[in-house]
Amino acid sequence: MYLDPDKRVDLATAASYVHDGHMIALGGGLSARLPMAMVRELIRQGRRDLHVVGSAHSMDVDLLIAAGALAICEESYVGFEQDLGLAPAYRRAAETGTITVKESCCVTILTQLRAAEMGLPFLPVRGIKGTDMRRLHPEYAETTCPFTGEVLVAVPPLKPDVAIIHAPVGDAFGNLFMEQPYVLDEHFAGASKSVIATVEKIVPTEELHDRGVVIPGYFVQAIAEVPFGAHPASCYPIYSYDRAHMSTYVQAAAKPESADGYVADWVNVPGGEDEYRNKVGAESLARLTQWSESIDQWKGLFS
Amino acid sequence: MSSYTFDEWYVIRLARTISDREVVFHGFASPCAQVAMHVAKRTHAPNMMLIEGAMYAINPDPPFIPPTSNDSSLKRGAAYSMRFEEFFDAAIRGDVDRMFVSGGQIDMYGNTNVTAVGPLERPKVKLGGGGGGCNISATIKQLTLWTTRHRSGRTVVAECDFITDIGHRTPAGTRDELDYTGGGPQCLVSELGVFDYDSDGRMRLQELWPDVTLEQVREATGFEFAVADEVVTVAPPTQAELDVLRVIDPLGIRRGEFDPREMEREFDLVGAGV
Repeated sequence: MYLDPDKRVDLATAASYVHDGHMIALGGGLSARLPMAMVRELIRQGRRDLHVVGSAHSMDVDLLIAAGALAICEESYVGFEQDLGLAPAYRRAAETGTITVKESCCVTILTQLRAAEMGLPFLPVRGIKGTDMRRLHPEYAETTCPFTGEVLVAVPPLKPDVAIIHAPVGDAFGNLFMEQPYVLDEHFAGASKSVIATVEKIVPTEELHDRGVVIPGYFVQAIAEVPFGAHPASCYPIYSYDRAHMSTYVQAAAKPESADGYVADWVNVPGGEDEYRNKVGAESLARLTQWSESIDQWKGLFS
Repeated sequence: MSSYTFDEWYVIRLARTISDREVVFHGFASPCAQVAMHVAKRTHAPNMMLIEGAMYAINPDPPFIPPTSNDSSLKRGAAYSMRFEEFFDAAIRGDVDRMFVSGGQIDMYGNTNVTAVGPLERPKVKLGGGGGGCNISATIKQLTLWTTRHRSGRTVVAECDFITDIGHRTPAGTRDELDYTGGGPQCLVSELGVFDYDSDGRMRLQELWPDVTLEQVREATGFEFAVADEVVTVAPPTQAELDVLRVIDPLGIRRGEFDPREMEREFDLVGAGV
């Protein structure tokens, strides 16, 4: 438990809690609430050999791979759905063997996090038998139910070294409010050794009480305020996802040279996140925050 | 006279695999299934419980279907959104009646591969991954399989290179032998035809689209499949179904699943059973 009353740090300090070789869990999922500013900062700091675990993700994982920061990918999905397709860097790294693919299943990951939260040595799942998933996971075993005799697959606890979670608001203690879907974030917080949070805005605790706390601050080791810290993913209720930027990334990531170009142009920039936001442009960012003005405005962001 | 395109008819046929009062779920990256669920809810299945993909929102009324499955527009109007674990717990304990499943490969028993084509160590194509399907395909009561890529000849294959989601039987045994509580694939809707599964769990052709021949289906399929005694033409959509579909998917998100040449298939409403 992390009990310091004030855990506010800057982004670079927060990122320093993640070490080479760590198992990390990235919050959010698909196009929502991905901790992109922290992902960019880890790349800036040259982090290597990370092992990422989680459910369905997209640009957060792909960008870590494109920048050479990832060694093991244990997500249930990495991609840009039907809209923008397969994840280019993930696909290339998996096909050329430069990362270890330990693809998993949402239920399995959830069950493993629950085992960690409960301090248990394993939990069973009913699925997996008959599929090829165990070829990717020699660590799974079988167990026989002492009551029914049913044979189930036993999976070990998953205890990430650091969970990296982005939320719209939080307080100095690290209490976090977020909108649904929470995805696995609550379980990441409970199962991980540490949580590093980024938020759009740090607010007084009384203000946070009014909105409700989803992740309690006692799980959180450090909190950094980073506006547009999920961009180009969404961070509702503040902003929608930036489909055009995601598309730019997917096109760039299609080839190693242009993927390097994206990292050089958008990530490894001297001014860090300030310069990133400047490059995206105040007008573009403002447009993403205007989703709630009308249905046409909202729909127009995706046309 | 109103005309309609193949993608519209296809999604409406998918919608018709849903019965009223079912609890139904689609995964992410599944626009055809997603639109189909909203069509069913607004036409023949008003009392279904629609669980919206990656939002886990119950019976939402989205103003449009966005190109990503976890945008907040997809929970608008929902009185409740499940937590991630509430949905997956419901699915594994058997409280979900139907899920839509697709794959880069689908075999004769309805096993699907969304993990990797080619050797696992050095795949020819690394697919995105299966989300929660590996576990919940074992326990959800019925699966509707769909593919819009049957014609490629690479999708409906004798054996999957990797089994991510479970069909009726795998080399490890049948669903009964594996203690699986769900019923497995009930049907496969492809852009060439509609199939069910016989008592041995093998795919069997039941319906053809009017512009597709049995020979074309055979050419595109990697194994010999059974054919029903009487193969019928897929029933045309009603005007009411088309109207609902066009309201719910104004951005045409469903079209992203099709090869562009399938978009050239157009039909008119003559003979539609309105």
